[in-house]
Amino acid sequence: MEETRRSTGSALTFSLGLAALVSVVATVALGLALPSTVEQSDFSRLIAIHPGVAWASYVAFGVTALAGALWLWPRTRRTDWDLLAGASAEVGVVFTGLTLATGSIWGRASWGVWWAWDARLTLSALMFTLLLGYCALRRVPGDPDAVARRSAITGLLAVLVVPVNHFAVEWWRTLHQGRSLLQDIPGNDVDGKFIFAMTLGFVAMTLVYAWLVVHRLRIARLEAGIDADDLDAAIEARRREAVPA
Amino acid sequence: MSRDGGSMWRDALLMAGKDLRVERRSRVTLNQVAPFALLVLMLFAFALDPDRDVLARAAAGLFWVAVLLSSLLAVQRSAGLETADGLPDALRLSGLDPAGIFLGKALAVAAQLILLELLLGAGVVVLYGVDIHGVATLAATGLAATAGLAAAGTLYGVLAGGLRVRETLLPLLLLPVVAPVLIAATRASEAALTGVQLDVSPGDWLSLLAVFAVIYIAFGVAAYGSLLEEL
Amino acid sequence: MSYVWAGYGVTLVTLAAYSVHLVRRGRQLARSRK
Repeated sequence: MEETRRSTGSALTFSLGLAALVSVVATVALGLALPSTVEQSDFSRLIAIHPGVAWASYVAFGVTALAGALWLWPRTRRTDWDLLAGASAEVGVVFTGLTLATGSIWGRASWGVWWAWDARLTLSALMFTLLLGYCALRRVPGDPDAVARRSAITGLLAVLVVPVNHFAVEWWRTLHQGRSLLQDIPGNDVDGKFIFAMTLGFVAMTLVYAWLVVHRLRIARLEAGIDADDLDAAIEARRREAVPA
Repeated sequence: MSRDGGSMWRDALLMAGKDLRVERRSRVTLNQVAPFALLVLMLFAFALDPDRDVLARAAAGLFWVAVLLSSLLAVQRSAGLETADGLPDALRLSGLDPAGIFLGKALAVAAQLILLELLLGAGVVVLYGVDIHGVATLAATGLAATAGLAAAGTLYGVLAGGLRVRETLLPLLLLPVVAPVLIAATRASEAALTGVQLDVSPGDWLSLLAVFAVIYIAFGVAAYGSLLEEL
Repeated sequence: MSYVWAGYGVTLVTLAAYSVHLVRRGRQLARSRK
């Protein structure tokens, strides 16, 4: 079935991709159509994409850690989990980078500086470095099991340390009374439009993330599977020989 | 196969003793890492203008950055002790409890870090003109931060240990992870030195350091054995 | 307002470029396996 595919596409990725595309278009259209606000003039329109990519980066992080944990647990160990962890991490780098970029642009627009060390963005910056370390570790060649094990441990530790990072950075930055990007967004009472745009952004970016991960995972399986399939076939053949004895 | 706790601690002390004996003979920490630490303090003085009181005000942070950079060297050295030819096999066959090996190596690194911190503390007092207050808080901060640094460093040290790229990979893995240690230790130290209590008390920062240390000690104890197999 | 375009632009261009990269790599690998 996979052997006859000429790409990593499939019915699943087609429908997923279509949904992602439609929701992204809707998000952009809605976001750009948002009204100007007193506090933030046009910049609040970024609410449709910045929280969305941030959310997707958290999802990517979590999936990497969870897939790694599933590989580590002997009863659920499958190569696919390790490959998923790696795929999610790479996609996560893209989304975390976008979080930093859009956050920086929004900060520049609102506060006049490209980087103000606000707690949320600093946390994303830390997560970015953790992901880069994880990806660098994965690229070190070695026995697949060894790679999987040290990646899984690193991924789990990266997630466990996020709450510690969160408090460290929050407490650190409360001293400076920094303003959060989202503070000036109306939405609770005046305009549900902003909240709706933000939510649509979450949905759109999650769908994009999922589509990207499926493709990246299939690529990883192709890269690994070239050897693994032959190995599996050989093991199967030996096993069949051994049975009559 | 269950080992009683006593065996783990016994192996830990054996391992710590071994690593510290190696240090006593080779004097790498003394002759190389300590001068490096003081050198970092000097570099900060060159980079920042000593006359404008910047150094004294930033002393706590600069101290902990110097500790972090020195810990990289100490951890690399500790990891490198086990990866010379034949040593990983010898370690596996020795029958020592891997959790004990982890704790022992972490203890040895921690001991060296404590000595470096004392040295750096003297350096900061002399070179940056800092007055010491709140010794109890400083000591508690030092212990809590060191525990986390040593545990994390030892864990990532074995994880990257057998890899040829360990020298460049280990800092990339370790430094982002210990960023919260830097933040917390610096803030707690600042509060002790200036006596100023801000919204977040030193106790809160110490709790954060303790949580970090517990996470890494627990993971190290659990995972060191399987990582040792891969060396 | 140019910042808004920059924000949307960076996001869409990056995601599009990465998507193209993945699809191309996927096709390349799938074909070489046949």
